[in-house]
Amino acid sequence: MKHTLSQLLSRLPQTLAVLLLASSTLLASPAGAADKSSDDAKDFIQNLAQQAISTVAQRDLADSERNDRFRRLFVASFDLPQISQFVLARYWRTATPEQQQDFIKLFQEVQVLNWAQRFKDYKGENLAVTASGKDGDKGFVVESQINHPPAQPMPVQWKVHQADDGTLKVTDIVVEGVSMAITQRSDYNSMLQGNGGKVDALLTALRTKVDQMRAASGG
Amino acid sequence: MSKINSTKLVSIAGLVALLALAGCATPPPADDPDAVAEFQQINDPLEPMNRDIFDFNEWLYDNGLTPAAKVYRYVVPRFGRDRVADFLANLKTPVIFINDIFQGNVTRGGVTLLRFVLNSTFGVGGIMDVATPMGIPGHIADVGETLAVWGAGEGFYLVLPLFGPSNLRDGIGLGIESTLDPLSYYLADNHMRWVSTTRFLISGLSAYEAYMDNLEDVKRTSLDYYSALRSLSRQRRDAQIQDAKSGKWAPVDPVKK
Repeated sequence: MKHTLSQLLSRLPQTLAVLLLASSTLLASPAGAADKSSDDAKDFIQNLAQQAISTVAQRDLADSERNDRFRRLFVASFDLPQISQFVLARYWRTATPEQQQDFIKLFQEVQVLNWAQRFKDYKGENLAVTASGKDGDKGFVVESQINHPPAQPMPVQWKVHQADDGTLKVTDIVVEGVSMAITQRSDYNSMLQGNGGKVDALLTALRTKVDQMRAASGG
Repeated sequence: MSKINSTKLVSIAGLVALLALAGCATPPPADDPDAVAEFQQINDPLEPMNRDIFDFNEWLYDNGLTPAAKVYRYVVPRFGRDRVADFLANLKTPVIFINDIFQGNVTRGGVTLLRFVLNSTFGVGGIMDVATPMGIPGHIADVGETLAVWGAGEGFYLVLPLFGPSNLRDGIGLGIESTLDPLSYYLADNHMRWVSTTRFLISGLSAYEAYMDNLEDVKRTSLDYYSALRSLSRQRRDAQIQDAKSGKWAPVDPVKK
């Protein structure tokens, strides 16, 4: 902070050169396809939380509008096909492509209706991203915490990866050590096992679930 | 002391053996490796019995605890309920301290002691958790966790009547834990066992009230509530044990302004 204006001005040519270089490398590779860094993943999560709070958590929103807003955000920032494949585990392979597509849609709706409802009870909690790092080949882990004083902050870990189209997408959320994807996998696999591994039985149960939740949330 | 424990252990082991006979899950056929791996991973050989106890607990919650928690929530405002929870948590710190030390976690023990001193004094006898906002959050430590730090596996998944999701190791830990609390001994010696009983009941109510909405969420969104809760509680427990093993005391960074 001790730089005088003249010092800054004398550095201007260098700064410009660096900027030019940076922009030329950016232009050389197609925008989205550049390899993402863990800092990108951090920004991505911070942005996502900000967007959710400013759009979905708004007060006086009709339930259907809240659901729609959350759905847009959710579909754009979560890798639903990837998560669905993980959640269905071995049953993903036995499912037909139509069943897989049905599952993705229904799974998405259960999540949307559940989370949109939670944002309805938003009481000013904020999400602070604390750290990020690499997780495997194309993956990142973003550490964050939900602050709502005077309550103890709640640690939330985000698993993020770079999808085939080059954009970052969430693949799992781990709250206080509990992975959403693992919990759902366990839940759905037990259900499937109890029904002789019939994917259609799962789809029917999910359809009923979505109807129930939709009736309860009014949209 | 050791006599009490061994008697307890024998009776628990006997009970488990008896119950094991009553309800064993059928392992999947060996020619389905995916199913076998899953069966081992969920580690719930007593699933039929556990589901029965789970249903019994659900009945108990629906007809006893949930209505009671709703009344509690209606009668006592949030601020008051937080004071009750803080007070009860402070009463638990001596047992947490003992476990921290037995786990060899000196730093965590120091934190627990410091929290006890701060909250008992500045926190007016523990009704105000002043340590957490100062950046000294608490952690749990119990006998089951200590046994895990010492290398004991979970045994197998077990749903305890009233207490809910647990496992063989933590169930035994719970039995031992009840013999560890200096406050209970003091109260028993002074013919004030009713205080311990009251404390137990209010602790249950307070803990249940805090968890009730989360449980309702899981129930609302899951297809097989039993399995969802089994997975959830086992993951949560693993995370707690990992923290205890690594001696990590601050679950998160202190709140930044």
